[in-house]
Formats: sequence, C-alpha cells, structure tokens
Amino acid sequence: MSELYERYSGIVYSVALRVLGDTGAAEDILQEVFMKIWRGPNLFDENRGSLAGWLAVIARNRAIDALRKRQPESDIADVVVAIEPDMVRSADWSRALDKIRSALAGMPVPQRSALEMAFFEGLTHTEISEKTGEHLGTVKTRIRAGLKALRKAFEQ
Amino acid sequence: MSMHEQLSDDLSLYALGALEGEERAAVDKHLAECPECRQEVARLRGDLALLALSVSGTKPPLRSHQRLKAAVAKEPRPIRPGRVPSRNWLRPFEWVVAAAALILVLLLAHQNRDLQRRISDLEVRSAAQQQKAAQAEDLLAVLNSVDAQHFTLVASKTPPQPEGKAIYQRKTGTLVFLASNMPQLPPLKIYEVWLIPASGAPIPAGLFKPDAHGGASVIKPPLPLGVEAKTFAITIEPEEGSAAPTSQPIMVGAPG
Repeated sequence: MSELYERYSGIVYSVALRVLGDTGAAEDILQEVFMKIWRGPNLFDENRGSLAGWLAVIARNRAIDALRKRQPESDIADVVVAIEPDMVRSADWSRALDKIRSALAGMPVPQRSALEMAFFEGLTHTEISEKTGEHLGTVKTRIRAGLKALRKAFEQ
Repeated sequence: MSMHEQLSDDLSLYALGALEGEERAAVDKHLAECPECRQEVARLRGDLALLALSVSGTKPPLRSHQRLKAAVAKEPRPIRPGRVPSRNWLRPFEWVVAAAALILVLLLAHQNRDLQRRISDLEVRSAAQQQKAAQAEDLLAVLNSVDAQHFTLVASKTPPQPEGKAIYQRKTGTLVFLASNMPQLPPLKIYEVWLIPASGAPIPAGLFKPDAHGGASVIKPPLPLGVEAKTFAITIEPEEGSAAPTSQPIMVGAPG
C-alpha cells in the first residue's frame, strides 16, 4: 500500500486539488480513494489500462461529486479507462506530460476553456452554455474537438 | 440518423459526466447494448485521464500519508491489495518462500540422482538384452540359412536315417524343430509337424519342405500356450497343409 501511495498519491491529490481548489478537501478525496482501494483490492482491473489514468479519472469524478455536494454518481469499479498502460510507467512520462500540456496550450482558448469547465468544474454543457452565453451546440462541438485534439497529440 | 449515430455524438459529454436526465439515460441504455460505444467511452475517459494527468505533480502533505496509515491500521488487511506489484504482499513470507524453494531444489536434486541411477541400470540391462538378442538372431540365421551345412553323425557303417529334433517349451508354446536326411517329397505334398498332446487331437505345428540335402527347420510356429506335449509326429500332407492329419505318421518322437 505504501508503494502504491508513494507512486500515485500525487496524481490523485493534484487532480482533486485542481477541481476543489482546497487542500483539506483534496486530502479527503485522497483518503477516500485510497481507502476504497484498500477495502476492495480487486476494484482495478489491469485490463482497464493504466492505473495512473484510472486513478486520475476516479479522483476527478469523486472531486466533482464533492464539489457539487452530491452522492457519487457511479461505482468506481464501473469506470473503465482505456489508456496506454505503459504511459506513466515509462521514462517517457515527462515527455508525455509535455505533449499533453502543449496540446492544451495549442488549443483555441474557448475550446480549452469549455473542456476545462466540463472536466475540472464538472459543469454540464447547458451550464457552460449559460455561463459563456454560447450556443449549446457550439459548447458540445468545442468539448468534442478539445478531446479529439488531446488524443491526436498523444498519438503522434 | 440512427440511434447509434445520434448518441455517439454525445459520448464525449457522457464520459465527462456532463449529460443529465433523459440524455444520460438514453446513452446508458444504448451503452448496455453497444460494445463499440462502450469501448469509445473508455477511450474518451482515457483522453480525459490525460487531461487530468496534465495537472499532476503536486505532492500531498505528509499528514495525508499518516492519516491513511492510521485508517488502514484500523481495518483488517485485505487478501490482495489491488494492483500493487504481487511480490509486495509476499514480502512478509519471503523466508517461507525461500525455504520452500530450497527444499524443492534439494528434492529435485535427489530425484535427479535417483533417475540417473535408474537410467544407468536400464542401460546396463538393455545392453545385456541386446547381446542376448544378437546371439539368438545369429543362431536362427545359421539354422535358417540355405547355405549352412548340416551333418548328422551316426554310428559307422549305418546309412543316414531321417531324423527330427523338436525342442518345445510348454509355458511359452515355443517350438524349434530341426530335421535332417528327410526324403524328398512327391509333387504337391509337404511335411507337417504335429504336436501330440497328452489328451486330445493332434495340433498342427508347422509345415516344411526339406532342402536338397534333406535338411529342414520349423522355428516358433504358432501354438497355443500351456499344452503338454506327449510327443511330436510328422505326416505327409497336401501342399497347403491340413488341420488334422490325413495320413499315418512317418516319424514319431519320444521325449528324450
């Protein structure tokens, strides 16, 4: 468990902190996620890809639930994340991070902003549309395009 | 546009958790039936994981680890802690594993020595058997050979007489029959050897035609096992042989 914590606590904590903007609340999410793994050691299925990617998504979902003060929407065991398993194990990790960050930096601001509002703030497309005053269809298109750009950047 | 095409547009919003109410329920329903879209949602979550990982790098405070350790200490240890490398949970039992491995190695070494010994025993036995088999083959080759010279020694001034020698082993049903000075046969006739049992009808024990010198042999004809032979006899039979004698014996033996 210590090894697992050593390796992945930074990911869970950083994501929760980015969503919640509060260290105490992020620590709660960290505790919650690791306790779930401790209690249900078979929750993560290796066929689901990278543990880092899975933990990042789980941490984000739990943090959004906490942000919106709602009950968890889905069981973490049901979350399947298809991501290259070796990505975060390899020495290329920092290079991979650079790729992601530069893909984000290269996006048109409204696209990046729509994607971040949906992902890190947990806003629905309706809420984003209301907040930005943009058409619902435009918001949807921007989110989709943003995700595509991320995938493309990583596939290169 | 099919339901599949309509919904596939909403999958990225679904993966983000940005769909609500009916829209979300419609995607859930579709995903339950569509493995292709389930795979796409998993891939989209992979893309989102990249987005999440882009913010990683902040270490949690030390107290978080202490807090987790304290919570973990209060709970029973699970059987298998997640995807922690498998050797981790073995660590407390390393000496047991090492001892078991050592015992296994010793056992295998012992078995190996035992097997080596058995192999060399078998090799020795096999060599002896091969030698015996070679001797038997040589013997049979001489007996069966057309160009081997056969001599029958009799008292001086006595003309050579037809003679048959039957060597019979009851338990294996093995017969070796050798004949010499046999008169040449009339056309379409053959000599037939008979096993005359202690009780019951004569049993056919092989056919032969003598060579130019009157010599002949019958080696291991098919015979039933365990039949006690009172004697052996020879008759002259039609060329294809007979199941029962059709003529009086020309030669009859006696144990000796």
